[in-house]
Amino acid sequence: MSAAAEQTVLDRAELDPAKAPSFPVAALPVLRNVQLRKNVAHAIDVIQAKRARLVAEKTDWQALRAAAAAIKDHVLENLGAYLEQFEERCTAAGGTVHWAVDAADARKIILEILREEKADEVIKIKTMTSAEIQLNPFLEAAGVRTYETDLAEIILQLGEGEPSHIVVPALHVNRSQVREIFARRMGIENLSDEPKALTAAARNYLRQKFLLVPTAISGANFLIAETGGVVVVESEGNGRMCLTLPRTMITLAGIEKVLPRFQDLEVMLQLLARSATGERMNPYTSLWTGVTPGDGPQKFHVVLLDNGRSSILARKKERQTLRCIRCAACMNTCPVYRQTGGHAYGSVYPGPIGAILTPQLEQLRHAQSLPFASSLCGACYEVCPVKINIPEILIDLRAQVTDQERKTAGKFFDPMYVAMRAANLIFSRAWLFHAAQKMGRIGSRFLTRKDGWMHSLPSVGAKWTLTRDLRGLPRQTFHEWWAARERGAK
Amino acid sequence: MQASLFITCYNDTLFPETGRALVRLLERLGVEVEFRAGQTCCGQMHANTGFRREAFCQAKRLVRLYADAEAVVIPSSSCVAMIRDQYPGLFEELGDEALRKDFAALVPRVYELSEFLIDKLGVEDVGAYFPHRVTYHASCHGLRGLHLGERPFRLLRKVRGLELAPLANLERCCGFGGTFSVKNGEVSSAMLTVKLEDVLATKAEFCTALDNSCLMHLGGGMHRQYAGMKTIHMAQILASTEKEPPEVAG
Amino acid sequence: MNAVASSREQVLGRIRAALRGGQNSAATAEQAAEAYVGLARDYTMRGELTVRACQERFVERLREYDAEVTECAPEELGSTIAALLTASGRRIFVAPPGLPAEWLAAGFEWKIDQDLPAKEIEKADGVVTACFCGVADSGTIVLHHSATEGRRVITLLPDWHLCIVRASQVVETLPEYFDRCQVSGIRGQVSGFMDHGSGIRDEVAGSLPSLVTWISGPSATADIEMTRIKGVHGPRFLNVVLVRDGEQGPGNRE
Repeated sequence: MSAAAEQTVLDRAELDPAKAPSFPVAALPVLRNVQLRKNVAHAIDVIQAKRARLVAEKTDWQALRAAAAAIKDHVLENLGAYLEQFEERCTAAGGTVHWAVDAADARKIILEILREEKADEVIKIKTMTSAEIQLNPFLEAAGVRTYETDLAEIILQLGEGEPSHIVVPALHVNRSQVREIFARRMGIENLSDEPKALTAAARNYLRQKFLLVPTAISGANFLIAETGGVVVVESEGNGRMCLTLPRTMITLAGIEKVLPRFQDLEVMLQLLARSATGERMNPYTSLWTGVTPGDGPQKFHVVLLDNGRSSILARKKERQTLRCIRCAACMNTCPVYRQTGGHAYGSVYPGPIGAILTPQLEQLRHAQSLPFASSLCGACYEVCPVKINIPEILIDLRAQVTDQERKTAGKFFDPMYVAMRAANLIFSRAWLFHAAQKMGRIGSRFLTRKDGWMHSLPSVGAKWTLTRDLRGLPRQTFHEWWAARERGAK
Repeated sequence: MQASLFITCYNDTLFPETGRALVRLLERLGVEVEFRAGQTCCGQMHANTGFRREAFCQAKRLVRLYADAEAVVIPSSSCVAMIRDQYPGLFEELGDEALRKDFAALVPRVYELSEFLIDKLGVEDVGAYFPHRVTYHASCHGLRGLHLGERPFRLLRKVRGLELAPLANLERCCGFGGTFSVKNGEVSSAMLTVKLEDVLATKAEFCTALDNSCLMHLGGGMHRQYAGMKTIHMAQILASTEKEPPEVAG
Repeated sequence: MNAVASSREQVLGRIRAALRGGQNSAATAEQAAEAYVGLARDYTMRGELTVRACQERFVERLREYDAEVTECAPEELGSTIAALLTASGRRIFVAPPGLPAEWLAAGFEWKIDQDLPAKEIEKADGVVTACFCGVADSGTIVLHHSATEGRRVITLLPDWHLCIVRASQVVETLPEYFDRCQVSGIRGQVSGFMDHGSGIRDEVAGSLPSLVTWISGPSATADIEMTRIKGVHGPRFLNVVLVRDGEQGPGNRE
């Protein structure tokens, strides 16, 4: 089969944290995927450059970040009160508010609403929250067809792939792959791979769906407690289609999405588009409040989702995780993400935010390798519009995971754990440290080659010498030199 | 002016020449150097790998050891960052108020090398001579943790004979990340390859930094690849003069 | 119904438990409102451009999005609209019910939106509306969907949107737009923030817009290799007439 006739098979990534392989393992096939690494690097270079230019021009950028962090912290400290206020106002405006304890609860509530509406198809605005609760497969199994309407989500849905980024989910797919998927699944002959042509194909494909499907599902970027308003931020217009044309609208939103007042959008909207897509403002932002007679859906439901968020509130250091406004600036700047893309993280939330959010949503039962999937360079903290100190949380989660693991028999004899305990003992007394250095010098002699370097190390060290040499231990440590110098001086 | 040297566990064991150069440099600048024999490690490796209990032990030792030092100079940004950024949280968790007070009193007296030279001694020209083409790698802890900013450049520009070649993508992490380099060895290696592209493109003879940890990773990769560039800690460049050229490892 | 109630109690219960013992956990909305007022806001509230420069920036930013911008004096508005509609080569236009009659240029088919079904709107080539506000900083047009702006669907389905913006509706910064949404238009001169008790707040909340669409350029995507493509869904062509009406609204400076 020639390359042209080959079907594009998008990576079947496992994004269920309960099933995904650990990060170091999941990263391996990705590191060997040249095309994917090229696509990812290109995409994030473009967004990063645009973002940097706009941030440089915004003289009050740091003040905006500080205000956003303060507003979000305030909301989180008063989360119950604000959620109740939102519920009251949204209900007064004609909406129905539901609460979901976890993913299963949310799926059940949504399906019940769909059954009540006798809906057997839904159009969807992109929402990572619905991917988090694995909504689509659940609805499909229950006989409800789901149609993604966001261009990236269509690419993934038709190509049977998984998102690898929270703002540009198909950034790992290139134009010829998109062309092949669209031509095959939309039944279009002679489709060019020019993005313009591909976009036009998507526009035509969806037009009738927008006009005919009476039920839509969305996420929410923000919920406004003061008014009961819901805000969706987008670029393509599919959001506006879904929230204007259907009869029934269901919005699924994490409980941390609430803001106190309408006016707080003046901070968030200035930060979000610049951080997410490197624009001063994204093309379309929509706000609606409950039901407006004569304009838009006449039935509106909000499903407020907990699914582990309330447990994150409890820890002071980790609470700031919930400030996240899902801009993806962190993953765009992350040097690790740049090499691995999103699928290696085994979650719908990849990158730095995924590395702290996913394990916490799973309450550390799964995704324990994610907090270690970072070199702690701090670039993410620098760009986060709501100032989440991601490195600090990564380190704290590492401690929590280690505390959990070190109790288990298996880990007691794990070489890393043995080495860490030994190192601590060695560092506890100078004479022990010095003795260990001497032993290390002697012991490593047979590993040291003629050029004075070690080229191959055992055990934990083998991962070092995968690609690096290590200079042999010098004959004299610094402290031995110093001691000799002191003696010589006397 | 007296300075107490915290050489760091890995410099003591693997890069003693950095320590020797630092002593030479400081003494040339008229600083009286002392070295407390009881020192071992600041606890960063344990803290960053999740072994917090162990990190406590090492942090306590360090604070007790240096409680009365006039100034502590450390040729490693990551260790200074550990002390400034993580020690406060550790001591708060420990709940030892006396220790926390000792730490709070000590921390203003802890300096990374370039901070000590520029902020404390007020010098940029340390009388160094190093006639080579050099590129500077900004380690993440120095860049974002300590906000060293222009300090390393100001020092390097005053070194006679030194030709400074700028490094592209200066702010991008080299991929060392402590135990990340082995726990995620393959990803670390991919990041190393990308970083070496930029380093080698400078056509410098030496890659320098204020952290031997990054240099161990970069240098280890270049040595494996027979790359024809060496690494050298900035202390060794600054210590080098016509009469006393630096010790450079093969 | 029972299941829904207990999920609610569970979630709120978990939140309460998580926050218990925290110094700032407020039990009621009133306590939260007090803490809210104390939050520091040091970002730029008001712009610094002159009125003229502000409008020029608005035009410039719109053009960066490939929107077509035409400026005219108030007395020229009717003829400007007619000329633009003619130049567009389009024939059938939707108009919101409150659009001024002078704007309904002769020689075109006008569908006035009195609950037009979507398929009727689909037949139109374009739509003409007013707006609530323009934000120069980001080249944003804000619709509150009043009678002169129309229901949301009419600025969504047609491919060509002509929006009439009066110069006095243009502000420089996004916070200034939010100022305009307050019923009394008062924003503290110094602190820039209302510090009334929650009673007055409720009054104001009642008059905040319940439907808003912020439009910053025509629809676009960058999902394929980060190449920005205009016009996915939503109007591909955005045209703006900036009417130099010379009125100074609050937030404008000389």
